[in-house]
Amino acid sequence: MRGMADELGVRDGVGVDLRDITVDFPGHRALDGVCADFRFDEVHGLIGENGAGKSTFVNVLGGALTPTRGAVHLAGRVVTLRSPRDARAHGIAHVSQEGSLVPEFSGAANVLLGDEPTRRFGILRSRALLTRAQALLRDWFPDVSIALDRPVSSLSMADQKVLEIVRALRGDPRLLILDEPTATLQSREKAQLWHIIRSLPERGVGVVLISHFLSEIKALSQRITVLRDGRQVGCLEAASIDESQLVDLMLRRSADDTRAREARRQVAHEPGLVALEAQDWRVGPVRVPHFALRRGEIVGLIGLTGAGHFAFARSLYTREGLSSGQVSVDGTPITASGIRAMQRNGVAFVPDRRMQNALFADGSVTENLAMVHPEFATGGLGVVLRRGAERREVARVIDQLGVRCSSDRQNVGLLSGGNKQKVSLGKWLYGANERYRVMILIEPTEGVDIGAKQEIYAHARRLSRRGAGVLIASSDLLEIEHVTDRVIPFVNGRPGEPIVRTDYSEARFIAAIAGEAL
Amino acid sequence: MSTDNPPPSDALAARDPDRWRTLAMKYSTLVVLILMFAGFGLFVDRFMTVFNLTNILQQIAILTIVGCGLTFGFAAREIDLSVGYSVGLAGILVPLLLVNGQSLAVALLAGLLAGVMVGLCNALLVTRIGIPSLIATLATGSILFGVNFLLTGGRAIYGGLPDSFLQLGQGKWLGLPMLAWFMLGVVAISWFVMERTVFGRYVYAVGGNRRAAELSGVRIVFYRTAALTLVSVFAVIAGTLLAARLGSGQPNAGERYLLDGLATVFIGMTMFRPGTATILGTLCGALFIGVINNGLNLIGLDTYIQNIVKGVIILVAVAVVSRSTRLNLL
Repeated sequence: MRGMADELGVRDGVGVDLRDITVDFPGHRALDGVCADFRFDEVHGLIGENGAGKSTFVNVLGGALTPTRGAVHLAGRVVTLRSPRDARAHGIAHVSQEGSLVPEFSGAANVLLGDEPTRRFGILRSRALLTRAQALLRDWFPDVSIALDRPVSSLSMADQKVLEIVRALRGDPRLLILDEPTATLQSREKAQLWHIIRSLPERGVGVVLISHFLSEIKALSQRITVLRDGRQVGCLEAASIDESQLVDLMLRRSADDTRAREARRQVAHEPGLVALEAQDWRVGPVRVPHFALRRGEIVGLIGLTGAGHFAFARSLYTREGLSSGQVSVDGTPITASGIRAMQRNGVAFVPDRRMQNALFADGSVTENLAMVHPEFATGGLGVVLRRGAERREVARVIDQLGVRCSSDRQNVGLLSGGNKQKVSLGKWLYGANERYRVMILIEPTEGVDIGAKQEIYAHARRLSRRGAGVLIASSDLLEIEHVTDRVIPFVNGRPGEPIVRTDYSEARFIAAIAGEAL
Repeated sequence: MSTDNPPPSDALAARDPDRWRTLAMKYSTLVVLILMFAGFGLFVDRFMTVFNLTNILQQIAILTIVGCGLTFGFAAREIDLSVGYSVGLAGILVPLLLVNGQSLAVALLAGLLAGVMVGLCNALLVTRIGIPSLIATLATGSILFGVNFLLTGGRAIYGGLPDSFLQLGQGKWLGLPMLAWFMLGVVAISWFVMERTVFGRYVYAVGGNRRAAELSGVRIVFYRTAALTLVSVFAVIAGTLLAARLGSGQPNAGERYLLDGLATVFIGMTMFRPGTATILGTLCGALFIGVINNGLNLIGLDTYIQNIVKGVIILVAVAVVSRSTRLNLL
């Protein structure tokens, strides 16, 4: 199947053909002899776990990265893509996952960024800017209307994504790489983008689509290429395969997961004493009259964007923006304010956006793990570090959480998302001697691959079995269903009726966060 | 866990195309330093003599001490632009007290105290009021500059300095200049503190990601304050030694230590842990500058040309660091 498409692509000059692409980074091989061909008349899905090599691969295709070995054939000829600019000149455009728009600029200015109509001396022709941008948008997507004269920051995320696509289409590319285009969108916003993506091949623009949503990949793509551990493990017709087969290919795992989940449901949990209690809690517009987390229990907080579940969870630890509230840990009221008081009383915090809030990229795995309790591995005075003791403790934490790194001196910035998150968790294991009785986690598996997710869940359960109270605020409802014992939905800054494990269902969650009783 | 299969390796996610370059870069500055050293040794007659090498050590000693202080600041991601005037302050204050009949101990302590005060003032402006250190210390530097001239009326202080004081800057011990011993002591202690103590760990954590350190329970205000105070303390130590070496207190003698001190740190940041200020890197940076200055001197090049060469080297160092890492100072 692949061989034939290959032949077609090369002979007819209607595609990009990547052969034997290998990319080496120091210490490991990110891509190992990957072959793939993308036609100009199809949407081609590219899937794989985090760390499977998707980003490296599209960086090669988009000219941002030169492969160690291998060649890119474009319409039958070998081309060398030296830079993203070079790739664009060859008709390959890349819309990256993070937005690349200038928020203060108008839609028109963003669409025509770098190609603005000007008078002499570089003076902008603002009216021509608008009309030209409008023409471009109308030309590509006649049924989409977006106000191009407004700053893009006032537009919806979906409209912003469309503008990024229009900008990429400006140079009439033959192939468009879309990296997680719907990741930041609400489900109802996705329809428009799906429509747009489907329409591109008819206009002679092939699409390489990367997405974490397998249903989306399957619905939009004609063919799907699967990467695993830097290798291509399959290129399949989308119509001939179902989602669970795709997951198997990505993970090489059986249906054990589902069985474990069922088993988990039956584990009767006997929650213990109250580990953390908050009363009369007010932070910004969020008000929680009473909240209790018991030992041995995993509680989930869910809600729509801005419902206050994240702000509440965060403020329990940081107390930033708190206008009133009492908190006690294991029955002891905590009167001193600040993070250190919570920490001293056994409350640990694993924040969201780990690179901003939890880790320092230029520091080693050791330096990051030992950030909370470096004094663990010290001599008599508690000042001088003992390297041997430190190395042993780091090894213990790495082993317990399954952190994969080339050495304990590797920079954390070079790890994959899942391993970074494990280091963020590991900070509260290193030298902690099980002193943390409450663990607050926010978006614990954001940007983490499925394998690492399982390990993080296992860790949360281990903590709760050991008698810790675990609080998870997450926007991943599957995750909440999977790990927690009890869920508190937040609506407009107020906690709603708790949902207990036996009543769990996705429909129930969605209704609860939308403020509807079921 | 729900599966018997080993979890897939996700160590494949490093996506830094500059990694090879970074690795080569770690030691390239060191290689350049060694080549330069060998080059001067081969082609400049009087370079590779015990006298001259000792001379180099003596010349870079004060600079290295300033650089070590700045390294503490940079590690916590704070910069101190008043450092040259702190050097100048001690270089005036200590001789002034000595000339006015105070004992050596009192004078030295007063100098140290002045450094602590300046550092605390800087830190207060930065941590409590929230002025970025680049701007706060620019202003305090200007104030110190004025103070230095007020203290002396713009004149040098000399004559009547006790021999015990002059020995600190001009004496020898076990064949090496006292200054070199001071430098080695400061480097050893600083290295130990930064690399082998909890304090150093916290300073690097605060500099690496302030928010992460804060959420980990690190007292970030304390460590930022400590780092900025250490910069000034090291500067006054250097200033005191400078006055002892010159045998006089010069109100503007410290100024060049700002630029040269920053240069040592920047050059140091290209090696060992690229993008991070380290004590050993700073020592190499100081050697780098010392060898260039000395070699060019022996060749007979004008000091103005030396300045140009130095400026170019700083630019190259900063360019290398900026290309490979996120060099955010503000």
